[in-house]
Amino acid sequence: MQRTNNGFRTLSIFALFFLFALSASVHAQQTTPQNDDYISPERKKAIDSLALEKVRDLSKYIAIVGDKSTPFSEADRVIQRTLELFAPDSEMGVSSVNSTEILYYGVRTYLERLMQLNYDRVEIEWYNIQYISDLERQPDGKYVGVITIYQRFSGYKEGYEGNVLLYKDTTKKDITVYVERKETQIGGRTIGFWDVMLGDVRVTETRR
Amino acid sequence: MTLQGCLYLAIVMFFFQGSSAQTGEDFGNETALYAETKQVNQFFRRFNCEEGRNGERFYPGNPLYRDPEFRLGYLDILFDGESSSIASADKQDFIREVCKPSLPTYLDFHGGDWLAEVNTRFLYEGTERELTLFMRLEADRLGHKWVIDRVQFAPYLKRFSQRPAGESEFLHPLSHELDFMNLSKVFRSSKDLQGYVPVGYEPDQLTLFLLDVAAGKLTFRTVTNMRFHFFQVEGWYFELRDLQRAGYNTGWLITRLERVSAEERTLLLRDIYHATR
Repeated sequence: MQRTNNGFRTLSIFALFFLFALSASVHAQQTTPQNDDYISPERKKAIDSLALEKVRDLSKYIAIVGDKSTPFSEADRVIQRTLELFAPDSEMGVSSVNSTEILYYGVRTYLERLMQLNYDRVEIEWYNIQYISDLERQPDGKYVGVITIYQRFSGYKEGYEGNVLLYKDTTKKDITVYVERKETQIGGRTIGFWDVMLGDVRVTETRR
Repeated sequence: MTLQGCLYLAIVMFFFQGSSAQTGEDFGNETALYAETKQVNQFFRRFNCEEGRNGERFYPGNPLYRDPEFRLGYLDILFDGESSSIASADKQDFIREVCKPSLPTYLDFHGGDWLAEVNTRFLYEGTERELTLFMRLEADRLGHKWVIDRVQFAPYLKRFSQRPAGESEFLHPLSHELDFMNLSKVFRSSKDLQGYVPVGYEPDQLTLFLLDVAAGKLTFRTVTNMRFHFFQVEGWYFELRDLQRAGYNTGWLITRLERVSAEERTLLLRDIYHATR
């Protein structure tokens, strides 16, 4: 009898443990989507790299659009590629050292203005420095961050003795980055991935 | 250069000496860009000692994460070195208090007790007017958002400026016995009802603002300036502004520091909001 009682107790403990384990497993499955949204330091590094890649693409495209030697059709194609980097309705907020006022342009308008600048040669160089903020979660669940970069712009006009520097400035660009967890179907399997889009850009002229 | 200036430069150079060597390009003084506190986010990280000299993030577990000694160096460079309004003794006391080994103080982005003052320009009745928005962070659903908490707009204050009630501008104390039938005369004779509202009445400018924007009377033009007010460090208030200038002491820096009691904090907030009570 004693042995039976012990056996029953062991069985009860085992059953309880099994139920607990089962419940923990279900709970883990239920919370998996939330955990998928968690951005660990390692994941943050990977997202930062992805975001910086987009920012580099943006810099490359801006340099092409601003270059007078770029044919119009090519510049137009690059503008289209640039727009694909941005979330809809993104704007560029531009201010100069002489004014506190911020002028707001749509990304396309900003690029078209850049294309129309009256210089024979434009140099756009990027400082090898960037600052990436933490990612903050918005009410809709998307994450948002800001990447700060610095750019030097030089505009030249052709003269008798080569190109003459007409205008130069250094700007700070604070670029919004939206990070969203998305899913796609590949071969019947659902694969989760992090999508990065650029958003509003604040362009501050810091010095000439 | 003053002794204080030399000391400041030495601290900055200690913190950012390796930076320019890493760039490989010389666009003028890149070290200054490393030294600049480039984002408010970076101000938080530097204040708490949660990042390295090149901006790399320190996470818990990193030996330098919130390291007291490393932090001391950062805190010193987060002040506007050209401000004469920050007393050196106050600054040292503040740094000592936030770095107190037994109870250090860290800034918390979601911790409340800080607000943004945003100076804007709106088109109002045909002319551009300055309008100040006071914003704070609010938790909402899965994350956070900035909300307009208060508005300060001179025309609203002017419209509701206090004037003494006229001699006959009152509803006598037994009006209720007559079902307030005298209200009829009040609304018939006057459009200015200031004599009939409590003494010291202040309009809710945020409501007026929302109504005017909805009615198309206010049209946004631009943001002209902004600063932040922090009350997160107990017993202290500080102001944060973006200072763009030559040198190493640039970006988001503490431009005002005051020791404040609980009562002084209320008065200071009233002052910040430009409120009359």
